[in-house]
Amino acid sequence: MLAQSPSLLHRGFIGASGTLLIAAFGTDCFYYTTSLWQWSNFSAWLITFGLIVMLVAVILLLIDFATGRARRLDPVSFLLVAAAGVLSLLNAFVHSRDAWTSVVPQGILLSTVSTLLLVIVGARGWSLATRRVAADRP
Amino acid sequence: MKTTTSRSIAALLACAVLTACGPQGGDPARQYGADPYLPEPNQYLLPPMSVPRSIGWHSGETPTAFAGLKVEALATGLEHPRFLYTLPNGDILVVESNSPGTEAFRPKDFIAGKVKAQAGAAGKGGHRITLLREGDDGAVKLRTVFIDHLYSPYGVVLVGDTLYVADTDAILAFNYVPGTTQITASGVKLTDLPAGPIDHHWTKSLTANADGSKLYVGVGSNSNITENGMAVEEGRAAIYEVDRSTGDKRIFASGTRNPTGVAFEPETHQLFAVVNERDEIGPDLVPDYLTSVRQGGFYGWPYSYWGNHVDVRVHPQRPDLVAQAIKPDYGLSSHVAPLSLLFSEGQHLSPTFANGAFIGEHGSWDRSPLNGYQVIFVPFVNGQPVGRPVTVVSGFLGKDNETVHGRPVGLALDRSGAMLIADDAGNIVWRVSAAQAAAARP
Repeated sequence: MLAQSPSLLHRGFIGASGTLLIAAFGTDCFYYTTSLWQWSNFSAWLITFGLIVMLVAVILLLIDFATGRARRLDPVSFLLVAAAGVLSLLNAFVHSRDAWTSVVPQGILLSTVSTLLLVIVGARGWSLATRRVAADRP
Repeated sequence: MKTTTSRSIAALLACAVLTACGPQGGDPARQYGADPYLPEPNQYLLPPMSVPRSIGWHSGETPTAFAGLKVEALATGLEHPRFLYTLPNGDILVVESNSPGTEAFRPKDFIAGKVKAQAGAAGKGGHRITLLREGDDGAVKLRTVFIDHLYSPYGVVLVGDTLYVADTDAILAFNYVPGTTQITASGVKLTDLPAGPIDHHWTKSLTANADGSKLYVGVGSNSNITENGMAVEEGRAAIYEVDRSTGDKRIFASGTRNPTGVAFEPETHQLFAVVNERDEIGPDLVPDYLTSVRQGGFYGWPYSYWGNHVDVRVHPQRPDLVAQAIKPDYGLSSHVAPLSLLFSEGQHLSPTFANGAFIGEHGSWDRSPLNGYQVIFVPFVNGQPVGRPVTVVSGFLGKDNETVHGRPVGLALDRSGAMLIADDAGNIVWRVSAAQAAAARP
């Protein structure tokens, strides 16, 4: 029986960050249809915390490599997350505007694009690196 | 779709780079008077800002006054002095106050709190009124705590033997006996005023009409531009008329975003107000203004500014209200933050200031270069503001345009006709008098 290899630390945090940022797309949609300010407020907080958790995930990704848990970067997922991160940072500033234009049109456009990118990352398993299998061990 | 998406994102990135350099405001003089220059509004990633550093006054430093006037510190070490009022016997009331404290609702509110602190606007308010009594030499010979334990007070007005104080949440009435230096009895509530939750623009300006039957109260909006929802704007951004005998109140005029100073023009007995307009759509938008206040008038906020210029940040929009919006009388230029209005009543400082209104411009950080941070005079003819404003007292801003010594707020005239200025960053009350008259004193 093969020994269980250590799991990747960053993966769950990428998933959590992605979930928060995708949720902001949902609350943006609610704001777009209702004009109720609290939805835009939710979006602003979801994007802020999504970015903070993404930062934690990036640090953990480095630790994954440093401690030999990760073997190789997955360039597709990594670039998708990087793009979603840049767009969401931009979106955090857009959402810092006041009232309607904090969401419509640029805010909701940015959260739509981020969501599409993050759904692909989710379908690929939220992992930005391949896991070192036990057999790789010297 | 794909090209529009990428084009929009490219445009966003471009404006991110641009805002880093910062759009600069133009000459404020273009926005003085009845027909101010109004550029196209912008939506920013980072709104234009320049946050000055508050450094206070070193001993001996004073603001600089108009030719022939001199400036001295009348009282120092106050706790965020905002509003000034002179009682009939010459005693001066200094309202020491600040915001009741608002909770951070949005991520940006945390940043705004830090900005406010750096600019010297977060000083602890005394929530009290201090009384100053001047001697014949114009120096303070008596200083007492006149009324303590108020709740973010701002406006004060005496009618007969009743002193009204506008706390942020109510008008309180105090029995006043001439010569009193301290009132310990608690005030009797005349009427409630719109306050929390949030209480974004918390100051309640106050004045009374000539016969003393009605009080007029300026109530600011609960947001910059409805970003806290429409529900919390109920009854706000308005000037109220309060019946003094019953306490009944009604909205006298609406759509005034933050009417921080209200006063009656002495010649025509027409109500005037200074109003702080909206932020974050450009360094030269929207001009703050001085206007006569028409009964039942709607002045645009939030749906439009300067008449029918629509603000796209408000949704759903109200074209029916925009069509009714009144153009204000007189632009003061953008982001000057006028916080007080005082009519001169043929006064003694200088012939230049015989007929018109003094306005204390607190200044803000919503513009680069900074604007305001001075006391101006707007000349009046036949009860209407005309011509260019004149700078009466400046030098609150450092010469580097990045540091702030003080920020002018409330204005009053003392018994001798000298002008008093509350400086809430320097925690000083300044006294501005004719240099010659003072020299002639023995």
